Amino acid sequence: MKLNLTLPKFLRIGLLPAIVIALMGIAFVVAMVRYIFGIGAISDLSYSYPWGFWISFDLFTGVVISSGGFLMAGSVYILGIKEFKPLLRPSILTAFLGYIMVAIALLVDLGHPERIWYMMIHWNHTSVLLEIGICVMTYLTVLAIEFAPVIFEGLKWEKWAHLIHKFIMPFVILGVVLSTLHQSSLGSLLLIQPAKLHPLWWTPILPIMFFVSAISVGLAMIILESSLSSRYFKRGLETPLLEKLAKAIPVVLVLYGLLKFGELTVARELGLLFTSGTMSVLFWAEILIGVVAPIIWFSIRKNRLSPNGLLTGAVIVLVGMILNRFNVSWFAVKHPDPLFYVPTFMSNVKYFPTLPEVAVSIGIFSAGIMAFGLLAKYFPVFEDEHEMEELHQPSKGLQSLPSAADD
Amino acid sequence: LGAAGAGVLALGQMLPTKVALAARDAGLIDAAGDGYIHSMCEMCVWRCGLIAKVKDGRVVKLDGNPELPHSRGNLCPRGQSGLMNTYDPDRVLTPLIRAGKRGEGIFRQASWDEALDLVASNMSKIKDKYGAEAMVFSSTHNLSQPLFENLLYAFGSPNYGTQRSLCFNAMIVANLMTYGMEEPARIYNDELKYIILTGRNLLEAISTSETHDLSAVIDRGAKVVYLDPRFTKTASKATEWLPIKPGNDLAFHLALLNVIISEKLYKSSFVDQYTVGFDELKNEVSRYTPAWAAPLTGVPVETIVRIAHEFAAAAPHALAHNGWRTSNFVNSFHTQRAITILNALVGNWNVTMTAAAGEGAGLGAPSQPAYPRISALRLDGVPWKYPVVPFKIGVFQEMRDNIVTGDPYDAHGWFIARQNPVMSLPDRGKTLEAFGKMDFIVTTDIILNDTAWFSDVILPEASYLERYDPLVPVGNKAFIRQPVIEPQGEAKSALWIYKQLGERLGLGDFFQYTDEEDYIRQQLAPLGVSLEEVKAKGYAEMPEGESAGYTWNTPSGKIELYSDTLAKVGFPGVPTWEEPPQPKEDQFYLLTGKVAQSTQFGTQNNQLLHKYSDEPRLWMNAKTAAKLGLVTDDWVEVTSEVGQIHTKLLATQAIRPDCVYMTPGYGHLSKGLKTAYGVGASDSAVHVTHTDPISGGQALSQTFVTVKKA
Amino acid sequence: MTEIKHHAFLFDATRCIDCRACMVACSVENNIAMDKTRIWVAGVGVKGEYPNLQRGTMVYHCMHCDHPDCMSACPVGAYTKADDGPVTYNPDLCIGCRYCMNACPFGVPHFDYDKGIIEGAFIDKCTFCPQRIYNGQEPACVQTCPTDALEYGDRTNLIAKAHARIAAHPDRYIDHVYGEFENGGTSYLILSHIPFSELGLPTLPETPVNEVSEKVMEMTIPFALGWGAVLTGVAAGVGLYNKKKEEKSALDEKAEAKK
Ligand SMILES: Nc1nc2c(c(=O)[nH]1)N[C@H]1C(S)=C(S)[C@@H](COP(=O)(O)OP(=O)(O)OC[C@H]3O[C@@H](n4cnc5c(=O)[nH]c(N)nc54)[C@H](O)[C@@H]3O)O[C@H]1N2
Ligand SMILES: Nc1nc2c(c(=O)[nH]1)N[C@H]1C(S)=C(S)[C@@H](COP(=O)(O)OP(=O)(O)OC[C@H]3O[C@@H](n4cnc5c(=O)[nH]c(N)nc54)[C@H](O)[C@@H]3O)O[C@H]1N2
Ligand code: SF4
Ligand code: SF4
Ligand code: SF4
Ligand code: SF4
Ligand code: SF4
Ligand SMILES: [Mo]
Repeated sequence: MKLNLTLPKFLRIGLLPAIVIALMGIAFVVAMVRYIFGIGAISDLSYSYPWGFWISFDLFTGVVISSGGFLMAGSVYILGIKEFKPLLRPSILTAFLGYIMVAIALLVDLGHPERIWYMMIHWNHTSVLLEIGICVMTYLTVLAIEFAPVIFEGLKWEKWAHLIHKFIMPFVILGVVLSTLHQSSLGSLLLIQPAKLHPLWWTPILPIMFFVSAISVGLAMIILESSLSSRYFKRGLETPLLEKLAKAIPVVLVLYGLLKFGELTVARELGLLFTSGTMSVLFWAEILIGVVAPIIWFSIRKNRLSPNGLLTGAVIVLVGMILNRFNVSWFAVKHPDPLFYVPTFMSNVKYFPTLPEVAVSIGIFSAGIMAFGLLAKYFPVFEDEHEMEELHQPSKGLQSLPSAADD
Repeated sequence: LGAAGAGVLALGQMLPTKVALAARDAGLIDAAGDGYIHSMCEMCVWRCGLIAKVKDGRVVKLDGNPELPHSRGNLCPRGQSGLMNTYDPDRVLTPLIRAGKRGEGIFRQASWDEALDLVASNMSKIKDKYGAEAMVFSSTHNLSQPLFENLLYAFGSPNYGTQRSLCFNAMIVANLMTYGMEEPARIYNDELKYIILTGRNLLEAISTSETHDLSAVIDRGAKVVYLDPRFTKTASKATEWLPIKPGNDLAFHLALLNVIISEKLYKSSFVDQYTVGFDELKNEVSRYTPAWAAPLTGVPVETIVRIAHEFAAAAPHALAHNGWRTSNFVNSFHTQRAITILNALVGNWNVTMTAAAGEGAGLGAPSQPAYPRISALRLDGVPWKYPVVPFKIGVFQEMRDNIVTGDPYDAHGWFIARQNPVMSLPDRGKTLEAFGKMDFIVTTDIILNDTAWFSDVILPEASYLERYDPLVPVGNKAFIRQPVIEPQGEAKSALWIYKQLGERLGLGDFFQYTDEEDYIRQQLAPLGVSLEEVKAKGYAEMPEGESAGYTWNTPSGKIELYSDTLAKVGFPGVPTWEEPPQPKEDQFYLLTGKVAQSTQFGTQNNQLLHKYSDEPRLWMNAKTAAKLGLVTDDWVEVTSEVGQIHTKLLATQAIRPDCVYMTPGYGHLSKGLKTAYGVGASDSAVHVTHTDPISGGQALSQTFVTVKKA
Repeated sequence: MTEIKHHAFLFDATRCIDCRACMVACSVENNIAMDKTRIWVAGVGVKGEYPNLQRGTMVYHCMHCDHPDCMSACPVGAYTKADDGPVTYNPDLCIGCRYCMNACPFGVPHFDYDKGIIEGAFIDKCTFCPQRIYNGQEPACVQTCPTDALEYGDRTNLIAKAHARIAAHPDRYIDHVYGEFENGGTSYLILSHIPFSELGLPTLPETPVNEVSEKVMEMTIPFALGWGAVLTGVAAGVGLYNKKKEEKSALDEKAEAKK
């Protein structure tokens, strides 16, 4: 029970939780103001900027960094790569919390949060947003199911945990399908803006780009979060496992790079690479940090084997790819020119996120971290510290398939 | 402009009573009080026909009436916004009596009886003490004006100030001297080929039908030459924009006359048959060659010559437009004469212009006794200082000045009706000084305009959507203004107010009608049409008045190129060059001019117009601004010899480098205008009073200002 | 007025005097709050250098696209495109995601940023005045226009009229009727003397901007099913393989034991 001794220490860094709770408080207050006086009261969103920081950070970033969940579930259950199991639960938890955070943020951004369920009954089949909405909501349920055993075990309701193991498989498959769909659909969301999104980013294959990059981000996130937790929780780091993931990243990124430049070549838009001013800069920043640098970094064995090397590499990937999400959903989106406008309240065509806006995101984010800490403390998230073979004999049916809990 | 106190139009509920019944009898609205009522716009003096949509006794929409020649189904932005004047939260809805010092804006509500008695007693007091002439009256063109004039002439005062000398005196007097009529009608037909607009910004200073006509003519491909120091919206649609040096339009037109006469481009048959004084004219304008005019106007010689040729070639399907607010310089009368004569020389008469249908002909009116003889001099110098200015037109700013000097005598009371002299007269400070000399000031208005703000009693008139006015003839129809909703609060029609005062002053004989409807019935009597019929149709047919043909109401009976009338009183008989004063090195011409989203000084508080108005700023040529180190939205200090204001700057290409421009009607003093108060600055506060010695017109572009960063 | 199969507007920038009567008319007719509008002016304003100047402004409102992107984007189907032209919005379905605002290439839909959830924050945009056009009246903005810069009628006729105008005054107009083909055709047709971009109009292809995303959406369901099947297959395969392996190792153990 080393855990119980070490975990409180995480909490005993009294300052951290205090700050976290404060941030949550602020976000809550801001949200209340928004609900009473309207979105305009706390944000700089306007006629010409309907979407801003919340969408770029909480939705686009939030979803992509939660992609570790389906990657691990897929590898462990479907591809049967048992050795990754130690990484399974943490990444499912990250995903689970990640999507909850997304959902909460959307409840602040939506004009009619109380109507979010309308998406379930009023279907407009041409709307990418509808698909994303439904996928996310369903996937959240799937994640809950995938994570439930951990809770049950924590509560010592082994029967229930066992029951879920038996029928986990269909859910895993569903989860992977849903993830594939909405991870890519976030890209499709911008397909409707060929006139607004800069051609360096707008391409019919946006969904594919989004999916591929999501994989690299997912891998990076698993590395990051194992490294961090291993530090906090003073657990050994699964370096050999992470090394494998790290090896995979360059492969994925090379594919990504090929797609990106391939598309630009086909679309005859290579010219724009250097002629688009700020846009060119943003583009190159994204490519160099998010693609080129990691490929080089992780191709060096030394970096893959040292904890610091892994951590650094993961961070680089994340920075680059998150920049990509911001570019696609914000920086590279064209907005009305500052023309002569009447009435004058039309002519505000600039946007800069306000502090309250950012505060909401930060609040939600810290809540997520807090939740991770607590769950990890009281529930068997890092299963390798648990001994529970005796728990159950392989049962019939999918018996030989590994399940979240057995070891 | 940005959002006003964001209210929606639906302000409270109000159920119709008398109006609804009348409208119901006329079959205009149903039992629920919903329907359409024909009436007339009064957001400006053009008076377009409107059809008001009424719901639950509230007017919810105004549309143009296709049948009225002044609207033809369209309304301008001001007309569209009209119901917001009526529902303005700042409306004055009960008589008010001043309770604090003048200008403090402290008033107490009073009953009509109390207010009217107070006014009547004060007027009588002044009359008894100083004579009727010590009571001055002023009012701006409106349909009940004849009754207002009854009030003052029956009362016995010669002192009557109208907006006209601030507006169109130069044009009116020039037409009277030339054609013997105030303003010939303009004809925009399919043949019209060529138009010269001298500062007539028809596409912003809107008269719905004429604006439509001009736009259609341009669209058809007619050539439009537009003279204006500013690149107005009219300039942007004209075929040719000449950014003429202010005040030098006279030189331009004299040069046109010179070319047309020296090159014999005029229509000699017409000139010989219908005009007098050609030789005097010829010999005067021979001096005004294009070469002479070019440096003065800033218009190249060849351009002047070309335009003269084009104009003559297009004639008689050509029109030199007189303009309307021709109160620009002390030489504006000559400019106007030159323009009228230009039309005469090329024989445009009865082709692009003709005698306006005689107003009022065919309508009846309540009988009334003759006015008492009035012996006192007029304070405004008509005719003793301005011999050719008609009595009913007058010289308003001169009257104000002589009130201040008390010469030839002191005035003690001022009755102001639907007018805002505090803003519309030049030199606001001086106007307030004149107010200061008054024992008693009474104003009728619908809101607390700046003049009401400084008055002792305010009589709230019902808005044009809430009242009857006398019928007005347009062409061969007489149109009605009728209430489309009940007057709000205690507001009453001018017909009612003047009658009440008349009776209290013992002048009841001049107001022989029981109520508004009775007045209109008496007007309709000769036509044998019922009021109900007119209410339903919106107008009554009138017998066709036969056109004047080729006779003119001048001493000679002809078009007077040379006017003996003028010569007799010592003015040049033919248009003659008068050098306009010029700004000093560091000064600018201060220009004024209407914008489409407001009328004069009375609609800036209309939230709908406010919503769609540009922020009023001082226009300055971008290059000049750069030289002075000024950029758009800088606060600047604008100084003339009579005043100083602070306002924001707009650096623009659209104005001559030696001019600046301000939108009139902002910078209100009255805190009773919650939407307009604090917006922009008032050009009237810096305008210097200069009067055209012949027409008595105020020279509104003859104010020179310095501008520096505030 | 001739019978109208497809309601449309024709706006002629060369005639518009920027008087804003249309805007006031819209606000009154539709009882729009003072800090909102369904119709506005945009453009470069005064252009050029004194004294060689031009004015470029246009009156903007919903283009009533033939393939509305707002409608394509809205997750809950709050928008409807009538067969005879008008595109309208239904507040009762709206969840306030503002995706329509992003989707609309013309930046038309507006949102109540100033309203909380109690008041209810909604999208607003030009409705084409159904209460008027279906009662034989012109839309409020059109009816009042003092210069006929805004006209209303049947789309086909107006397109013909527009081309006729260009033909009559080739010197005056850019030889293009904006909206005839842009974004797959719109019901707001525009004539101009200066480049349309200077009026604030986006340069759009003839295919509606929602084309690609709608295609992708069509492929979604099939893809999902296919992908699901594949994954199940793989899972089963792997499962079987592992089972075999275990049995095999079990046999080997027996063999060992025999020795
Ligand atoms: N600086 C400057 N001065 C100018 C001009 C300019 O362009 N610039 N223009 C000149 C010209 S052309 C003119 S015509 C004059 C106009 O000068 P004024 O006639 O003095 O100005 P208005 O604003 O027309 O005054 C109309 C008044 O009537 C009120 N009113 C509106 N409706 C009603 C109603 O139904 N009943 C009553 N009783 N009152 C009502 C309004 O509130 C307003 O106060 O100004 C001249 N002065
Ligand atoms: N929207 C709106 N329409 C109106 C009115 C209103 O208040 N608002 N008022 C109505 C009334 S009462 C009147 S009198 C008419 C007035 O209508 P207009 O006769 O057009 O008069 P303004 O608009 O006052 O001024 C017209 C132009 O004269 C220019 N100007 C100034 N000085 C000179 C000069 O020396 N030479 C030349 N060539 N141009 C010069 C100014 O730049 C301005 O653009 O409008 C009527 N229509
Ligand atoms: S021109 Fe405009 S304001 Fe004047 S009467 Fe006509 S509609 Fe009313
Ligand atoms: S203009 Fe925008 S809002 Fe209007 S129909 Fe087209 S896409 Fe929809
Ligand atoms: S804001 Fe409302 S109308 Fe617009 S897309 Fe979202 S749900 Fe549909
Ligand atoms: S059609 Fe109706 S709703 Fe649309 S802009 Fe015109 S007036 Fe407003
Ligand atoms: S009413 Fe007509 S002229 Fe005036 S702004 Fe609107 S479209 Fe232009
Ligand atoms: Mo005037």
